[in-house]
Amino acid sequence: MFKKILFATSATPASDHAARVAFNMSKEYNARLNIFHVLGVPSRGFSQVVVDVKTKEKVGVDEEYLFGVTEEIKAYYAKYLDKGLDHTIDVAVGFPAREILRQAKVAQPDLIILGGSTGDEEDSAYKKVSAGSTLQKVAKSAPCPVMAVNRPAASFWGGMSNILFGTDFSKTSDKAFDFAVKLAKAMDCELHVFHALDITGLQSGKLIDQDEIEQKIREALRKIRARYEPRLKELKSYSMDVWEGIPFIEIVKYARDKHADLIVMAHHSRRIPDEQDRLGGNVEQVIVRAGCPVLSVNK
Amino acid sequence: MPEGIYCNKQTVNTPEEVNKLLSDTSGNLYYQEMEVLDVDTDLLWKTIQNTCKSRTRTWLEICAHCGMCADSCFLYEVNGRNPKQVPAYKIQSTLGEIIKRKGQVDNAFMRHAMRVAWAECTCCNRCGMYCPHGIDTGIMFGYLRGLLYGQGFVPWELKIGAGMHRAYRAQMDVTDEEFVDTFEWMVEEYEEDYPGLTVPVDKEGADIMYTVNAREVKHYPEDLAEAAILFHLAGENWTVPSKGWEQTSLAMFAGDWAACKMQVESVYAAMERLTPKRMVGTECGHAHRATVIEGPYWAGRKDGQPPAPSIHYVEWLAEALNTGKLKIDPSKRIKEPVTLQDSCNYIRNHGLKKATRDIMAHIVEPGFFIEMAPNKEHNYCCGGGGGFNGIGKFRKERNIALIKKRDQILETGAKLVVAPCHNCWDAIRDLEEEYEIGIRWSFLKPLLIKMVVIPDHLKPKE
Repeated sequence: MFKKILFATSATPASDHAARVAFNMSKEYNARLNIFHVLGVPSRGFSQVVVDVKTKEKVGVDEEYLFGVTEEIKAYYAKYLDKGLDHTIDVAVGFPAREILRQAKVAQPDLIILGGSTGDEEDSAYKKVSAGSTLQKVAKSAPCPVMAVNRPAASFWGGMSNILFGTDFSKTSDKAFDFAVKLAKAMDCELHVFHALDITGLQSGKLIDQDEIEQKIREALRKIRARYEPRLKELKSYSMDVWEGIPFIEIVKYARDKHADLIVMAHHSRRIPDEQDRLGGNVEQVIVRAGCPVLSVNK
Repeated sequence: MPEGIYCNKQTVNTPEEVNKLLSDTSGNLYYQEMEVLDVDTDLLWKTIQNTCKSRTRTWLEICAHCGMCADSCFLYEVNGRNPKQVPAYKIQSTLGEIIKRKGQVDNAFMRHAMRVAWAECTCCNRCGMYCPHGIDTGIMFGYLRGLLYGQGFVPWELKIGAGMHRAYRAQMDVTDEEFVDTFEWMVEEYEEDYPGLTVPVDKEGADIMYTVNAREVKHYPEDLAEAAILFHLAGENWTVPSKGWEQTSLAMFAGDWAACKMQVESVYAAMERLTPKRMVGTECGHAHRATVIEGPYWAGRKDGQPPAPSIHYVEWLAEALNTGKLKIDPSKRIKEPVTLQDSCNYIRNHGLKKATRDIMAHIVEPGFFIEMAPNKEHNYCCGGGGGFNGIGKFRKERNIALIKKRDQILETGAKLVVAPCHNCWDAIRDLEEEYEIGIRWSFLKPLLIKMVVIPDHLKPKE
């Protein structure tokens, strides 16, 4: 299922949950793990100065420094790496999202695993007016599925039993569905197909009665059956549900209800992300809130 | 020690030599060696005799020491009106003195001259506008930098920068293959959103040949995508050269005259090879100065013009908006107080103030654009021009230099600064980092992308 995994990490506690998932998955699937760290953002015009993301210090980057950082990463993940895991470590300078995508272009992984937010994106070192969050940019443009692990994934110890696939019936969702089915088959999981009926538009004053909502739920269920059930039958077990509410909240609630170990969703290709709409989309909100890893598929 | 291992009079010509210089972190050894670097006084005097022309000699001679240039210099103003920061003093006590002494100056003098040439003047040429005799100190400092470079007295980063141009014909270690590859990659990333988006490489006879700044390729390749998108939406017949794509010239900041010539000739060769109707350069100030204004003279072109008519990005954009090739969605215009940074290199030195103001009129809701004071050709340098931004040794001085721009921006009350110049953009970014005044800053392309109308036939199908 996964032969090459690219794990983009800040090599700080913010990426610890993701690290656990990345290392476990690599072991489980005998995948080659590429540990990738963007150590800092270039600064000072054309000068050689880089602001180190970890120390916040302005440093002159040379081979010695790169070597030092690589050694630090090795030490940080020593408890995983000691077990003879097939891995490589790469370190780069630049804007994280762009460099992760550049690395993905070269390494061609089957999956990118992203660590959690370092929490300091407001830090001036990261500021670039057109930039959205690292996650948003990587999820939008990555050539392969992207898995984000933001909160501790308690049940994710290499095994998976429940996968939730959230759909909005778009073309990209169909791609995400294909992937979810493939995954469920490979991992022998139950797949839960879910659609959240968005009723947030109703807050603006207009109240629809429950009959109408339920009518829409029935319609959505019919749509799920028509669109996905033939493929779902290839699996041992599956379920289909539609709930109404604020979509990302409903997805998170549903995931909790089904003890989902993984959520698969489509990332909608949008134009160059706006600084205002970072973490604005459903996928991003789900990532922030879900108690399990979230995998986004964009193409 | 006459010549150091890192600091010497030799030029840096190959990737290996660039790497060697880079391996000396922050140039620590480089500057140590500089303290004992010999001055070849004979060579210095010979160079002056061969290259110091009547204009410079006349300027140095006729300066009346009236001091009118003092108040025109932002570095004089932000450095406590120190008389040693008066432009006339700065040039007379360095270049003037070298000539007066017929090149008989010592190591300490040259190091002092280096500090003045790179930390006390950004070659913004503002003083030249206020001198009753029309003496342009910035031009003379450009010349002095050349003399200093020839003797090995040049800031470490600029020796590297000039070396990059010699080794790669680009200001950073970006090869021609990497340039084309990155541009194609970026276009690929966005072609789903903009069906039909392509980057035509080496197309002959196109209406536009586009040239860039290597930093865009290296660190902000989105800029390339944005340029492609805007040309695409405007329906332009454009191309990029696979060779000669770098418009900038750190060699100019360094005073490496030979590298300046090499660099600009690579761009001119691309123009001659592809015969575009026009060249459009990216949002960079010094790149325009190097390739369009000064370059023709470096390359020895008799008419003082590049081989193809060459315009700045703001000229193309203003034209595209004025002629309706690009249309702005009025609901998406900027509706917050916004100000504009006038880049010295193409506003004061090439008169493009109308172009940028035309653009602002299109993209900003009436009433929200606030001019800095002073503005247009009278505007102050961002504080980081002429190479100042990148020099670690003069960081402290550079940060003081940012104060003028900081105060100008604060006075406007705007929280968004449009800066269509790489150097200005950097300086304003650093200014926020240093002084935290709560502003955002942007090139034009990312702003335009958000508000430009996509013609129906170019919209994605879904």
